[in-house]
Amino acid sequence: MSATLRPYLSAVRSTLEAAMCLENFSSQVVERHNKPEVEVRTSKELLLNPVVISRNEKEKVLIEASINSVRISISIKQADEIEKILCHKFMRFMMMRAENFVVLRRKPVEGYDISFLITNFHTEAMYKHKLVDFVIHFMEEIDKEISEMKLAVNARARVCAEEFLKRF
Amino acid sequence: MPESLSFGIDPITAHAWNKDRTKLAISPNSPEVHIYHFQRGEWKLEEILKEHDLKVTGIDWAPNTNRIVTCSADRNAYVWTQSEEKKWKPTLVLLRINRAATCVRWSPLENKFAVGSGARLISVCYFEKENDWWVSKHIKKPIRSTVTCLDWHPNDVLLAAGSTDFKVRVFSAYIKEIEDRPVSTSWGSKMPLGLMMAEFSNSTNGAGGWVHSVNFSSSGDRIAWVGHDSSISVADASKGMAVSVIRTDFLPFLACLWVSENRLIAAGHGCCPMLFEVNETGKVQFAGKLDASLKKESSGVSAMKKFQSLDRQARTETNDTSLGTLHQNAITSVCLHTGNKANATKFSTAGVDGLLAIWDFNNLESAMRGLKFN
Repeated sequence: MSATLRPYLSAVRSTLEAAMCLENFSSQVVERHNKPEVEVRTSKELLLNPVVISRNEKEKVLIEASINSVRISISIKQADEIEKILCHKFMRFMMMRAENFVVLRRKPVEGYDISFLITNFHTEAMYKHKLVDFVIHFMEEIDKEISEMKLAVNARARVCAEEFLKRF
Repeated sequence: MPESLSFGIDPITAHAWNKDRTKLAISPNSPEVHIYHFQRGEWKLEEILKEHDLKVTGIDWAPNTNRIVTCSADRNAYVWTQSEEKKWKPTLVLLRINRAATCVRWSPLENKFAVGSGARLISVCYFEKENDWWVSKHIKKPIRSTVTCLDWHPNDVLLAAGSTDFKVRVFSAYIKEIEDRPVSTSWGSKMPLGLMMAEFSNSTNGAGGWVHSVNFSSSGDRIAWVGHDSSISVADASKGMAVSVIRTDFLPFLACLWVSENRLIAAGHGCCPMLFEVNETGKVQFAGKLDASLKKESSGVSAMKKFQSLDRQARTETNDTSLGTLHQNAITSVCLHTGNKANATKFSTAGVDGLLAIWDFNNLESAMRGLKFN
């Protein structure tokens, strides 16, 4: 299972390093505007081909790049009902605080669980290789966090059930 | 070791030198232009030019007439001249564009300049004495997207433009009000304003990537451009518009500059200037990296930590934050410092990390002993 993790992460890493070559670009559609082209999508020549990197059917990453912005959408492994609920709540928690997160998008792209939007302003203020490190680290840690939460939920449920059934 | 000057943490969007390289004009990612003066061994901020409303996207300094032209995302351009009290005064230029200006270049004789814009056209501007302002003529067809880069031919008439529609075009920018008819060159003989003399696609099969920078060689026969597909191409008009392309493994380049008739520098997202050579048959070849600084080794990196970082994050280098090159973020522009396009000895690079570095070929030559320099 984890034999596929390293090639998956290195594929995502090299794609992100190439996709994050962003530069400032003023809108050519509306004067005085400077918006992420991957969100606006009015000029087709400014968008790059989207790339999907899949580890298996359930886990994949969609990277859509353009001249001044990149959108990275992650589909997280959710094996059963509990994991689905936990994942949904966890992502919702983070996305509600997207402003503080800086690079997070408030709504995930259709078909994915969470999306990042990185623009040229972010790559100007932060190190590009550290942004890539962050996304990879995020992908790695999310699975661990959800497993830990599932264990905690199960342990709590067991304790509650035990306490309740002691009365009988 | 290249000389480096830090201008803070803001990216340097554009930079330009004056004639004797004692003054430097830079824009730190803002509507202002800062003029620095080299006095008594250090660079001092001399003046701040504040006229634009939005980010300044291009600066060019005419060496002989000592005028600075700046263009900005607010659709305006200004020509700055120095008054008797040594203060810079702006003159408005009527660009007549309705989108942001992206790049500006003085012509070799400094009687006109060209501005590329997101309005899918190039404004060629000249001074009209009757009304005391700068007026423009537009080159529109067949540009279909934002013009990203410009460069003039040494004959003061031909203009090369690269755009995000994946093409490099050579236009005639002949303004009959201010100059005589040009003589024919290898690019063609008839040159009315706006005529497209040549068009090159960045790739033969499909799109090929946005053109980031275009540069005429010192003779004007060759033109080099760099694209977002990490390629560098050279077209030679004297050899029937033959194009030689190489696709490199590096991250895309953002700027290129000829340093002799056969050698050119390209720099970009890889944060390191690279040297390319054109051989006798006209083929472009990679000649070497010019940043010889060693990767910094952090002390006390255990084998366990290295293995963990490799296993968990697919990270092969252990060094964390700083890159192994002088520039810590992408290089956005390259300018000639000493010499000319036929024979340059020094060039300067400015980047998103707020650093401006001056590279000296003589020092680099001794650092890279394996390469031959003619």
